[in-house]
Amino acid sequence: MSHVNAVAFTILVVSFLAVTLIGFAAARWRPAEDPMQLNEWGLGGRGFGTFVSWFLLGGDLYTAYTFIAVPALVYAVGAAGFYALSYTIVVWPIVFVFAPRLWSAARAHGYVTLAEFARGRHGSQGLGLAVALTGILATMPYIALQLVGIESVLTVMGIGARTGNAFVRDLPLIIAFIILAAYTYLAGLRAPALIAFVKDTLIYVTVIVAIIYIPTRLGGWGHIFGAASAHLKTVNPTTGKPYGSLVVTPSGEWAYATLALGSALALFMYPHAATGVFAARRRDVIRRNAALMPAYSLVLGLIALFGYMARATPAVNAGVQAGGGNSQLSVPLLFEHMFPSWFAGIGYSAIVIGALVPAAIMSIAAANLFTRSIYTEFFNPTATPAQETRVARLASLIMKVGALAFALQLNKTFSINLQLLGGIWILQTFPAIVISLYKTWFHRFALITGWASGMVYGTIQAYRTPGGGQAHFGASTAPVFGHLTYIAITALVVNLVVAVVLTLIFHAIRLPNGYDVTRPAHYSADPVDGPAARAGAPGA
Amino acid sequence: MAQSAPRGRSPVTRVSVTILLVVAIGGTLWVPIYARSMPKLGDFPFFYWYQLIWLPVVAILCWLCYVLLKAKPTPDARPRHGRGVRK
Repeated sequence: MSHVNAVAFTILVVSFLAVTLIGFAAARWRPAEDPMQLNEWGLGGRGFGTFVSWFLLGGDLYTAYTFIAVPALVYAVGAAGFYALSYTIVVWPIVFVFAPRLWSAARAHGYVTLAEFARGRHGSQGLGLAVALTGILATMPYIALQLVGIESVLTVMGIGARTGNAFVRDLPLIIAFIILAAYTYLAGLRAPALIAFVKDTLIYVTVIVAIIYIPTRLGGWGHIFGAASAHLKTVNPTTGKPYGSLVVTPSGEWAYATLALGSALALFMYPHAATGVFAARRRDVIRRNAALMPAYSLVLGLIALFGYMARATPAVNAGVQAGGGNSQLSVPLLFEHMFPSWFAGIGYSAIVIGALVPAAIMSIAAANLFTRSIYTEFFNPTATPAQETRVARLASLIMKVGALAFALQLNKTFSINLQLLGGIWILQTFPAIVISLYKTWFHRFALITGWASGMVYGTIQAYRTPGGGQAHFGASTAPVFGHLTYIAITALVVNLVVAVVLTLIFHAIRLPNGYDVTRPAHYSADPVDGPAARAGAPGA
Repeated sequence: MAQSAPRGRSPVTRVSVTILLVVAIGGTLWVPIYARSMPKLGDFPFFYWYQLIWLPVVAILCWLCYVLLKAKPTPDARPRHGRGVRK
């Protein structure tokens, strides 16, 4: 990794330029009658059918986390990292259950974000604000994680690695991000939706070739699993225990299951996932996609196996060591050592574009949250659709600058740890959203207090958890009654207990609850025609 | 998730959809089922091929549920019923 490979670099630059052109051209894709509606900029006109939605959701949800962080975890600890596969299996039946109701309620009321739903359902500005702030807070480190993924590719390619000047080193990342910000500003959700086609094609090609070709070069799967098993059995000198195992041990089963369940429940509480759901044209699109998206989870499973391939490649192990033991480099290094340089270039492009698409959708989703639940709600209740769209565009720029500063200033372990915290935080909005899709029994103030309890408990518990050589924010699981449990799940239990107890009390003392603007029929609504404009939002 | 089955369908449909979805969710959440290395499929330990095979299974189960829910629409589940939805 000492010099820039010209062929791989050229391919990466060409793909990036192609994607940039598509991003700008997307402004004219499915043109809107009135582009200055938040429905248009922020949700692509709510007009995506099954086919486009499949690419959009795939491009949206399978991020640098999938391509870099999961295989890095498998590379480091083995089977325990495969919880991500279980998580992306479990998530689709769960989405099948609740997402159609969410879509219908959002369509009936013109909601662009989850926070508006929580606010409307419980008649509580405070709850809407809590959901919006949690979404923005959890999204920032998630965007930063995408940048860390891009950085790992650039590091392996040797771009900027030799200079001590921080600005020159980070220049490629800054340029890529400015261009991304420009076409997102212009085209809104249409840009990442169109680029998702390129992303998914590159990912599928890379993964299919890698999964067939690399094992033949490494002496077959028997050798790959053998080499991984041999490494995982060796004792880690810092902990005095083996690095990991090839099959989850009985003591690790509870952590594995709670990580999978917690991540699956949390995924669609993230603003960018909700954006993917709300952008669908019809209610049926979501159910069909719940059945079609597992094809993408299969890709995640195969990419997770890259971690073992990397472990079975001595040159990758040497490269990771040379990079200060940063296992995030394992997949780019695997491509470098296993593929001819032109195909390594395609693999790098897949990772980089695979990180840009979610970063764009995340910044749009966070901008929608800021606009609807903070700007319009608290500062300008009479905002016109055009004003909202302008504010959202600016907010998306600010989100990106913030995430960039985040990724450049903080060290990498920290941004991954914040991403971990993001999962804990975002799950605390689950009662106010998913449970509220079915029941309005909870009292609004009980939900807010429960949310706050879960946030505080989760943050403190994560802070107190050592791991990976760090005293704080070291791991996402902590023991509960002797079982290692995903902190997000424990925090959700705390959240629910507080919410239930307080609701009983508040109902008993007849504390007035909020006014629910939704009606039962809204939850199965499936309007054929286009979305209502904000000004005429019906049903309220 | 107790409320998974939608309203306005026959009880048979609701029960089948609920069962199918519970199976789909439980299949990989119940880790002791597959936390073992035998039997192997080729060189793949059970732990890996079980989860990978579970993916198409979940896809088929979700598709079955979709078809079941679509096949027997009752009038109150059809569109254009939501109050004030159409302009």
